Amino acid sequence: MAVSLSKGGNVSLSKEAPGLKVVRVGLGWDTRVTDGSGFDLDASVFLLNEGGKVRSDADFVFYNNKNGADGSVVHQGDNQTGEGSGDDEVVVVTLDQVPAEIQKLSFAVTIHEADARKQNFGMVSNAYIRVVNGDGGTEIARYDLSEDASTETAMIFGDLYRNNGEWKFKAIGQGFAGGLGPLAQSFGVNV
Amino acid sequence: MSVSLTKGGNVSLSKEEPDLSKILIGLGWDTRTSDGADFDLDASAFLLAAGDKVRSDSDFIFYNNLRSGDGSVEHTGDNRTGEGDGDDEALKVELTRVPADVQKIAITVTIHEAEARRQSFGMVSNAFIRIVNDATGREISRYDLAEDASTETAMIFGEVYRNNGEWKFRAVGQGFKAGLAPLARNYGVNIG
Repeated sequence: MAVSLSKGGNVSLSKEAPGLKVVRVGLGWDTRVTDGSGFDLDASVFLLNEGGKVRSDADFVFYNNKNGADGSVVHQGDNQTGEGSGDDEVVVVTLDQVPAEIQKLSFAVTIHEADARKQNFGMVSNAYIRVVNGDGGTEIARYDLSEDASTETAMIFGDLYRNNGEWKFKAIGQGFAGGLGPLAQSFGVNV
Repeated sequence: MSVSLTKGGNVSLSKEEPDLSKILIGLGWDTRTSDGADFDLDASAFLLAAGDKVRSDSDFIFYNNLRSGDGSVEHTGDNRTGEGDGDDEALKVELTRVPADVQKIAITVTIHEAEARRQSFGMVSNAFIRIVNDATGREISRYDLAEDASTETAMIFGEVYRNNGEWKFRAVGQGFKAGLAPLARNYGVNIG
C-alpha cells in the first residue's frame, strides 16, 4: 500500500491523531470510456463482535443497508458508474459511537456482477480505496486497486479494530474469489 | 520465461529485465474474410501525459506519422512481411528516450474502413500483443486476446506505462464500436 501504511502494517488512530472522532473510507474510480458494461464498484463494511461475526444481518453495511449500529457507521450511497471526481463511495465511521460489542469493522470492495460482466479491478482506470482521518482529511492508507489487485474482483481492504482501549487500522489488501455473497456468509450474514 | 497476462493484468518490465532500454512491441492476428473484403488492421500508439491525454496530435503514432518527434517511438511500417515470429505489425520504443512527461503509451489496433466493409474484431482470432527486449530478442511478456464475440472496430490491446520508477505492461483488450475516431478523441487527438 502506498502512502503511510504497507500491507500487513497497522497504525494506531488514537496515537496518529489524538481526539480523532471520525474516519472516512473512500472508494474511487474512473467511468468506463470503452465499450461494454460500466464498472460498478461497491464499498461495504462488516461490523464484527469478538468472535469475528456480525451480531445480525443489520451489521452488514452496504448500498442496501446504509445505516449501521445506530448511525455510527453510515454508507453515503451507491455510485454505479464512478461518475464524479474524488471518492465515489464513502463510508463514515464515528468512532466513539460504535457499540462496545463491536470489536472490528472489516472493509471490503467488490465489483458488482464481476463474473457476469467479466470484469476485474485491472480493467478499471484509477480504482483505489483509502482511509482518511475525518478531521482534516489526512490519508492514512491507500490501496491502488487497478494496479495491485488487477486480476481480482473483490478485496478486503483492511480492518478498523479496538486494541487496548485504542482504535487501530490494519492494512490487509487480500483478494478473494466468489464476490460479496460468499464473503458476507463467512462473516455470519444470512445471504 | 515469458510472462503470460490475462485481461486486466500487469507485469513490471523493469523487474523482468533489469537494464531494459529498447523494446519491440509486436502485434499479430488472424482474420476470417467476410464477403471477400480484405482486412486491413492498423497498429498505432498514443503517447500520453498526465490525465491520459496526448500533448499534441504528433503524439499519435501511426502509418502516416511513423516516428515520435524525440525518436523514442517508431512504427515499423504498414507492411505485412510475415517476419518476426508472426508479428503482423510492430512498434519500437526506446524507453530511456521517452520524455519524462509521457506516463503511458497506449497500443491500439483499428480496422480500416470497418463500417464500410462490415468488419469487427469478432472476426479476428488469435490476436496477441507481446513485448520483446529488442537488444536480446527475448520475449518478456505476452497477452493473448481471448475470443469474445466482439463488435469493436478499434481496440486498445495494451499499455506500456510508468509506475513507481519502473516500466510496466498492462493487458487491456478493450475498445470502441465506432472505431478510431472515439478512440483518438478519448486521448485528446483532434480527428476530423
